[in-house]
Amino acid sequence: MGSVKRKSVEESSDSAPPQKVQREDDSTQIINEELVGCVHDVSFPENYVPLAPSVHNKPPAKDFPFTLDSFQSEAIKCLDNGESVMVSAHTSAGKTVVASYAIAMSLKENQRVIYTSPIKALSNQKYRDFKEEFSDVGLMTGDVTIDPNASCLVMTTEILRSMQYKGSEIMREVAWIIFDEVHYMRDSERGVVWEESIVMAPKNSRFVFLSATVPNAKEFADWVAKVHQQPCHIVYTDYRPTPLQHYVFPAGGNGLYLVVDEKSKFHEDSFQKSLNALVPTNESDKKRDNGKFQKGLVIGKLGEESDIFKLVKMIIQRQYDPVILFSFSKKECEALAMQMSKMVLNSDDEKDAVETIFASAIDMLSDDDKKLPQVSNILPILKRGIGVHHSGLLPILKEVIEILFQEGLIKCLFATETFSIGLNMPAKTVVFTNVRKFDGDKFRWLSSGEYIQMSGRAGRRGIDKRGICILMVDEKMEPAVAKSMLKGSADSLNSAFHLSYNMLLNQLRCEEGDPENLLRNSFFQFQADRAIPDLEKQIKSLEEERDSLVIEEEESLKNYYNLILQYKSLKKDIREIVFTPKYCLPFLLPNRAVCLDCTNDDEEPQSFSIEDQDTWGVIMKFNKVKSLSEDDDSRRPEDANYTVDVLTRCMVSKDGVGKKKVKAVPIKERGEPVVVTVPLSQIKSLSSAIMNIPKDLVPLEARENALKKVSELLSRHPDGIPLDPEVDMKIKSSSYKKTVRRLEALENLFEKHKIAKSPLITEKLKVLQMKEELIAKIKSLKKTVRSSTALAFKDELKARKRVLRRLGYITSDNVVELKGKVACEISSAEELTLTELMFSGIFKDAKVEELVSLLSCFVWRERLPDAAKPREELDLLFIQLQDTARRVAEVQLDCKVEIDVESFVQSFRPDIMEAVYAWAKGSKFYEVMEIARVFEGSLIRAIRRMEEVLQQLIVAAKSIGETQLEAKLEEAVSKIKRDIVFAASLYL
Amino acid sequence: MVMRKLQLPLSQTQKVRFERAIERLQSLSSSANSDASVIVTDSIPVNHDDAFLKGHGTSEVDGELLATVCGVVERVDKLVYVRTLRARYKPEVGDIVVGRVIEVAQKRWRVELNFNQDGVLMLSSMNMPDGIQRRRTSVDELNMRNIFVEHDVVCAEVRNFQHDGSLQLQARSQKYGKLEKGQLLKVDPYLVKRSKHHFHYVESLGIDLIIGCNGFIWVGEHVEVRDPMAIDDQKDEEMISSSSTGKEQSHIPLETRQTICRIGNAIRVLSNLGFTVTLEVIMETVNLSNSKNIDIHDMLGSEFHVVVAENEAERRRTKRKK
Repeated sequence: MGSVKRKSVEESSDSAPPQKVQREDDSTQIINEELVGCVHDVSFPENYVPLAPSVHNKPPAKDFPFTLDSFQSEAIKCLDNGESVMVSAHTSAGKTVVASYAIAMSLKENQRVIYTSPIKALSNQKYRDFKEEFSDVGLMTGDVTIDPNASCLVMTTEILRSMQYKGSEIMREVAWIIFDEVHYMRDSERGVVWEESIVMAPKNSRFVFLSATVPNAKEFADWVAKVHQQPCHIVYTDYRPTPLQHYVFPAGGNGLYLVVDEKSKFHEDSFQKSLNALVPTNESDKKRDNGKFQKGLVIGKLGEESDIFKLVKMIIQRQYDPVILFSFSKKECEALAMQMSKMVLNSDDEKDAVETIFASAIDMLSDDDKKLPQVSNILPILKRGIGVHHSGLLPILKEVIEILFQEGLIKCLFATETFSIGLNMPAKTVVFTNVRKFDGDKFRWLSSGEYIQMSGRAGRRGIDKRGICILMVDEKMEPAVAKSMLKGSADSLNSAFHLSYNMLLNQLRCEEGDPENLLRNSFFQFQADRAIPDLEKQIKSLEEERDSLVIEEEESLKNYYNLILQYKSLKKDIREIVFTPKYCLPFLLPNRAVCLDCTNDDEEPQSFSIEDQDTWGVIMKFNKVKSLSEDDDSRRPEDANYTVDVLTRCMVSKDGVGKKKVKAVPIKERGEPVVVTVPLSQIKSLSSAIMNIPKDLVPLEARENALKKVSELLSRHPDGIPLDPEVDMKIKSSSYKKTVRRLEALENLFEKHKIAKSPLITEKLKVLQMKEELIAKIKSLKKTVRSSTALAFKDELKARKRVLRRLGYITSDNVVELKGKVACEISSAEELTLTELMFSGIFKDAKVEELVSLLSCFVWRERLPDAAKPREELDLLFIQLQDTARRVAEVQLDCKVEIDVESFVQSFRPDIMEAVYAWAKGSKFYEVMEIARVFEGSLIRAIRRMEEVLQQLIVAAKSIGETQLEAKLEEAVSKIKRDIVFAASLYL
Repeated sequence: MVMRKLQLPLSQTQKVRFERAIERLQSLSSSANSDASVIVTDSIPVNHDDAFLKGHGTSEVDGELLATVCGVVERVDKLVYVRTLRARYKPEVGDIVVGRVIEVAQKRWRVELNFNQDGVLMLSSMNMPDGIQRRRTSVDELNMRNIFVEHDVVCAEVRNFQHDGSLQLQARSQKYGKLEKGQLLKVDPYLVKRSKHHFHYVESLGIDLIIGCNGFIWVGEHVEVRDPMAIDDQKDEEMISSSSTGKEQSHIPLETRQTICRIGNAIRVLSNLGFTVTLEVIMETVNLSNSKNIDIHDMLGSEFHVVVAENEAERRRTKRKK
């Protein structure tokens, strides 16, 4: 490998914490100077006396046909010393070398080695790779088991955890455990599995952790060293074998702008130029503002080429292919690929090759399955050298596409984020079709960590001199935002630990197991403990700040302050009563003058005068707010939420993100007359005056005139002749009267309060408020400290044990009972509800197909917009499921487990019940696809997961001795396990 | 409450005292579901309209649910099963058991557990004496007798059942394995309740007590659980000592031996009387014998049995009051 193109990213050792033990012998230093830098560091457990690095003349367990990078040889040196190592490097850097060395070493020593990866598909691929190299390799995933007696076992982390709970003999023979993609630990749902299996790993085994670049690798290694009482090395490198260039492609523009060059220098001028080239889409396109606009889905105007088409054309012309285009939804992915329909990127020879590979791959499918629309539609696209890769594809197609891509027969691949994890499948160019990502509730900028992960696919080692990243930007973005995204640091590795009943029961079941012990050893606790000194320092500085604020006459000032707060809250109460839709709807007539509250709540949290800032405007119309829940129609009009469109004077400004911001300002100030939508709560009062205003308000002048009329009204009647709530609006509620009386009493108090007249009262109040805020902050920090010094999750653990006791899963002495033993076996679905269902005998009554269909509710979490209600028998079962789930949730709530009963019940979705029923009945897959309008891949994944659940239920039924149910479950497995759904992976 | 006929000669007064104690005990436990006890082929009443699950010890014959064993009918929601009384040990996954090696076979030891089959402890389910994680070799197989030989007492955990119903054992950590310098006692399995802990270390007496779920109870001198890390360094010595005849390990102080015997006899008394054996009850019986100055060999006499019965009745009464 040429040394010139590699850039030294050696981190200076002085930035390292003092306890760092830098072990750099001569050879490393030379490498550092010339080649790639890496940081090597060791975490020792407390009271550990490091052994002198043993001088050993053992021949290496494995020779590589190429020169190792310094980080690889550093890591391998640690392995040779028999010590654990964490390797943190970019995806393409070549971490696999370390893993395969560890495997070779173990095989040589006649020890077992386990390799775990987060994803089944990845396990399959790794199995194939290792099998070719080492032959004594087995595979265990939820779907397949091949040669479980082999010395090297590839498995998913979930399987490893269940082995540890069950106490497999493998755990007694394993010398090395390799955790690939260990940064998955921060996954909110599955991350806890990594923590469990690391904590429970045999004390004498050693680890290899492979992770993407994480800034807190040291922290992780410290944790491993502490939990396992063994040294853990860290080898960290930022190095990329092929440097990257980052470009921006502005929407509607024509060219690429180099923003970050291969020396990772940010070119601000070029970035600005690119933004200037951004062709603004139609201003009236309001959608843009709320971020729902998705470029590409809106195909350019007739005859015009879409941006994506232009970009791909440019890439091909400049020979930047192969290219991966990342987008953030499956639908978008497909839509974008469709726009490429005119493009042909493969030669005739290549077309034939695609066809041959494709045909031989789908050969194992039945004829019916070959006719599936997804299968038959994709071939023409593939032949043209264009591919799609997302989780909605049939697994087999996904694999065909991966193979074609590796063979270079796909030049242009549209993929979702999942393609960025795992096996080495680099391209020359990576394109981000969007810079914003929907993360469940809103669109946000891509994080730098995500950017790093995905851009890691750019640049093929040894082929390309540099990798190219292109960012398609369709809205203004601040250089700072871009800079932090493109050049920011990787996401740190944080614990996502949480408790589950299955975990508790498994821990309670074994003599040595103790959930508290697990909690104490968790990474979560470790991180919490670590944060304490920092928090304490914060508290101290805040306290000093608090004490430095000295206020004269503090007592009486505080009194006054509290009065103001009370006054405000009362005022708010009154407004709330008056402006309940019930009372105010009849008065929200168009053209009525209205007084709005325009207190600026983001800049100045509270004003201290009892006068609010307000403005006047004219009502245009009111709207009912559509809430997301289904039962909207059943609501009475009085209960719904309303917003009001008001014409008023506004300040229009643009904030950093390029979003327009409209803010109402007092009518006498400068600003544009604009119609804004305000919630009812922002209305202060309604005037009895109804203005005469022209219907057509599009011209600016008409609006200006309308506001002038309002001003005239105000000059004549400064109070705006408000409607009297009692007389005009006929509000007869007793609480209204009571509140008004209290308000009057308060007003009297204000006048009597002597401090109100003191000079500088507002300044003083501001200081006081600052102090109050400080006090609140200190209080909350102290609470965090208290909760982290105590065992994390302690209360939740107690509550959850209470639930288990209440439901009869464990006895009062924490001995696992029969029901608990059943729940122990169920790890792939909600264990409590499923166990309760089993013991209620529902499974026994239902037919096999119905049983399978019912189980689908446990694995399907997606809400389908147009799913038909399942037939009556199924619906009946589903209602029983919901009842059981509600009961389980309510018991949890009673026991003080934080849970939202309704959303828990709603999390069981009946949407694919019919489809699964049909599948269990023996329908063809294409028939099933007609019933359920979901992605093929999603349905297949659901059915495979159901099979996993069924297998666990079989074990459970066996343990309670119910043979009939066991037989029934076996039958269920045989009914769903067929054809395309369980077609073997091409990698096996 | 299943009370066994005592096989001891009792004097008239002892007999009266004993019967009174038994009466009191029975009155305290009368609320138990004595009507739910069944014998083989008894029909178990179930609501046939409603779904029910039939568990262990039941079978459906001609639409009727019959018991296939003698015992007590238990119901968990819709599940109906029969819990046996005074039968052989019925293992459950995760149980801690004590057993005696009866055969060294290929890659495995057969262990007598009072189950209807022998337990199987695979060589691979045992921690190697050198503490190294590795695959077992044929050399290890040849050296199996260095680990356990016939008649050794071992402690293990029930791992799972094979398809043929045989029982797989495992030794999860260093505290499982060979038990030495102590006494093995056998009681009826039903006298041992499953609990969170079956390993007990009586610190005041320096005694280890392992109450196996299969009714085998080990009383022995306390052994520090060896740190597997430390063994790494001295594995050579370890190998020698474990293969040597064990001269140096024969010395146990007399006092310890007496304590072991005293605890052993306490367990025997409890077993004779049919009382549940827990650490708490055992220690109470031991203390009772000490406070009454009863010699170890007198503990098995009639008088002490009566005293223990009376004490137990009193203990349960006060417990009830609380």
